[in-house]
Amino acid sequence: MNLKLGKYWVWFAGISAALMLITVLLAVYYAPVAASSVKTANELFPSIEGSTITVAGFVADREIMNPIRYPEDPPVTAIILADFSDYRRYLDAVVAGDLEGEWWTVEPITVRGPYLPLGTNVSATGEVVATLDSSSFMLSCDSSDDVVELSSPGEAGIMTSPISQKIFYFHMPSAWVSYVGFFLTLVFGVMYLRTRNRTYDRVAASSAELGVLFATIAIVTGPVWAKEEWGVYWRWDDTKLVTTFVMWLVYIGYLMLRAAVVDHSVRARISAVYGILGFVTMPMSLLSSRIAPLIRSSHPQVIASSSGGLSMEAGITIGIAVVAFTFLFITMLIKRVEIEESEDELEELKRRVGGEE
Amino acid sequence: MRAALTIASKDLKTELRSKEMISAMFLFSLLIVLAFRFGFEESVSAGSVDMPDLAAASLWICFSFSAIVGMHSSFAKEKDRETLEGLMLCPVERSELYLGKVISNMVLVFIVDVLSIAFFALFFAYDYGGNGLAVVVIALLGTVTLVLVGTLVAAISVNTKAREVLLPILLIPLIAFSVIMPSVTLTGDAIAGMATESVREIVSIAGFAVIFGVVGYLTADYVFEG
Repeated sequence: MNLKLGKYWVWFAGISAALMLITVLLAVYYAPVAASSVKTANELFPSIEGSTITVAGFVADREIMNPIRYPEDPPVTAIILADFSDYRRYLDAVVAGDLEGEWWTVEPITVRGPYLPLGTNVSATGEVVATLDSSSFMLSCDSSDDVVELSSPGEAGIMTSPISQKIFYFHMPSAWVSYVGFFLTLVFGVMYLRTRNRTYDRVAASSAELGVLFATIAIVTGPVWAKEEWGVYWRWDDTKLVTTFVMWLVYIGYLMLRAAVVDHSVRARISAVYGILGFVTMPMSLLSSRIAPLIRSSHPQVIASSSGGLSMEAGITIGIAVVAFTFLFITMLIKRVEIEESEDELEELKRRVGGEE
Repeated sequence: MRAALTIASKDLKTELRSKEMISAMFLFSLLIVLAFRFGFEESVSAGSVDMPDLAAASLWICFSFSAIVGMHSSFAKEKDRETLEGLMLCPVERSELYLGKVISNMVLVFIVDVLSIAFFALFFAYDYGGNGLAVVVIALLGTVTLVLVGTLVAAISVNTKAREVLLPILLIPLIAFSVIMPSVTLTGDAIAGMATESVREIVSIAGFAVIFGVVGYLTADYVFEG
């Protein structure tokens, strides 16, 4: 690739900007927080007060938290907690062996609570005594016998709030583009080793740098999204989060490695090898939510998940966002490689003018 | 393969004479065990600490960090004495050179692993629930993967300016999922006497050994280049 693409960068930038604009417009007007995803308690349960309903509860047991992994587990007691901080309190109560009564008295339920959107498969039935606000209401449960099979009131929780809906259109495309970047680092690293063409090394380095940039965006926006949807910023038991973090560290190491070598041919050679080696972390991160039954992960599977998870409107919007980010990536890559080229040219000129060094 | 064994035996012979690397690695891992002993002094004395967990975690920190010290010096030494050039002048395939380094590093790291296991037992007055042998076997399994990737990364980082710092930065993210996490789980299970149930961890460590071994074997030509 003699960078013949280079002169078309304005087109790529233009397409990217136009698609970004379309994404924003779609996100606001076409696929706003899907009406079906976010419902007020009253919408969820018409004439809610006084009626007996079944709601998804927060199951505060580590082994049950991820129903995908343990489908054979027997139904357990659903613990209705007001917010995530109560989870600690619940664990303390478990340790103390003191689980009587208190947990089944009248407790406000946050509909969009931690783990609730993840297809929680346990629920509690009780009488609604009062609607509190748009997202919570009071439920009176008599005893733990009330636990029945799940009937999840909400939609799959990817975009159930204005913040998580908006951030998702940045988060997921950024993550996607960072995977593309690291894949290109591998491909161009291998091509460099085969041909020793310095252009390939420049592309590998630039795409690793951009990959780290976009992975950083994904890692920063992810917790904001998670706080809205899961109720916590970060979960160490979610494989996707942890593998992505490790992948990010590997490619920061890649950039540090490049910075620590002076000779450009040595730098290109050893960083290409490290790029190949470090690539093992990329599929681990990319696929970790897909092999969820094998390992613990509750990350949404946006693409190719059987249940969908996204509404059609949101799916179209996210598709356009992904294309927009991909064009943005191509534009930035072209420019970044050009900068690398100019830097090398400058080095060469300096060397010629100054004799040595 | 014969060339690899020759290189490995050369490494081990020089090591046997100087005992430079192994003493450094051993002291380092001893100090880590000691640090854990001091750090957990109160809870260990009170018996309120989960010993299988503590043993698994601190042993693998010992193994990984002492291996990093050893693998670094196995190349740094050669580089400083300019014997790496000599090795590369040998009429040997570069992949054999990589394998030879892997074998000699593996022997040294494993010796230090066994010593750390013994010293952990001594310092913490802990018998690994009677499953000490299983802990040793798992140490061997994890060490294979650790050294396969570590030797390659050490060969990469030895070319750089800040090589002592760079090796752990480059290596630890790579071994976090492939070695440390499954091995710690496995060691904990082994102490509880149910290592055979953790097939997933064993398969994962062995799978990464294959991946890293193949990458190392194929890229050795590019890593060792004059």
